[in-house]
Amino acid sequence: MRNVRAVFWLYLVVIIVGIAYAIALGLAGR
Amino acid sequence: MSEKSRGFLRDNALSLTFGAVFLATLVGQALSGVADFNAQQIADGLEPVSLGEYVTSSSFGVDVMENWQSEYLQFFLYIFATVWLVQRGSSESKKPGEEGPESDKEQKVGRHADEDSPAWARIGGWRTAVYGRSLGLLMGALFLLTWAASSIAGWAAYNGDQLGNREDPVSYLGYLGAADFWNRSFQNWQSEMLAVGSMAVFAVYLRQRGSPESKPVGAPHAVTGQTG
Repeated sequence: MRNVRAVFWLYLVVIIVGIAYAIALGLAGR
Repeated sequence: MSEKSRGFLRDNALSLTFGAVFLATLVGQALSGVADFNAQQIADGLEPVSLGEYVTSSSFGVDVMENWQSEYLQFFLYIFATVWLVQRGSSESKKPGEEGPESDKEQKVGRHADEDSPAWARIGGWRTAVYGRSLGLLMGALFLLTWAASSIAGWAAYNGDQLGNREDPVSYLGYLGAADFWNRSFQNWQSEMLAVGSMAVFAVYLRQRGSPESKPVGAPHAVTGQTG
């Protein structure tokens, strides 16, 4: 199950980074 | 879990395949998006932008986030709605009469937990209450975050267009009341609701052999909630 847990966290991190990136672009007014 | 591991790639084939196709289609969106953006720039008498400039622009950000938010809204609503609502005959539904959160015994929580149940399913109190709703809560939180991100990136992109058209920029609250924001939201929501409703009802009469999203091919139409 350890390798499944790695994919779980990979998805969550990619999603959070994507959201943070879009917010940063908006706040930077680009 | 008792199944034997068959290696990283095969154990995670579904998630990894969709993750890879996600990245490929995101690249496709960036490439077609910059071409579309530049066609509009040229039509407006403005300078075209590079791919690097485009993928670091709020125009790209809002186009990605407006689709993400509707997907997480769809899953959030579906996860919670299927607790309480049934579709007779659908593999996507519980059986009629089973509506609601069900008993602790059926859900294997507290003293009904198995030996290998997650710790928070056994422990009781607020942790079991939260863990018992964690999938829906995460989808709901991701919906709110992606919707907020789409509003912030959309606001910046909208003001970029306003300035290009020599019109006044709007405040963030002003953008939340703008037709652009709600048009982006509703045009994504409507398609998700249609797709979810279609899946629930088409799965009553149609089959996909071998798919857990379908009933077994020979299952009667009247049987609800059976997957195979």
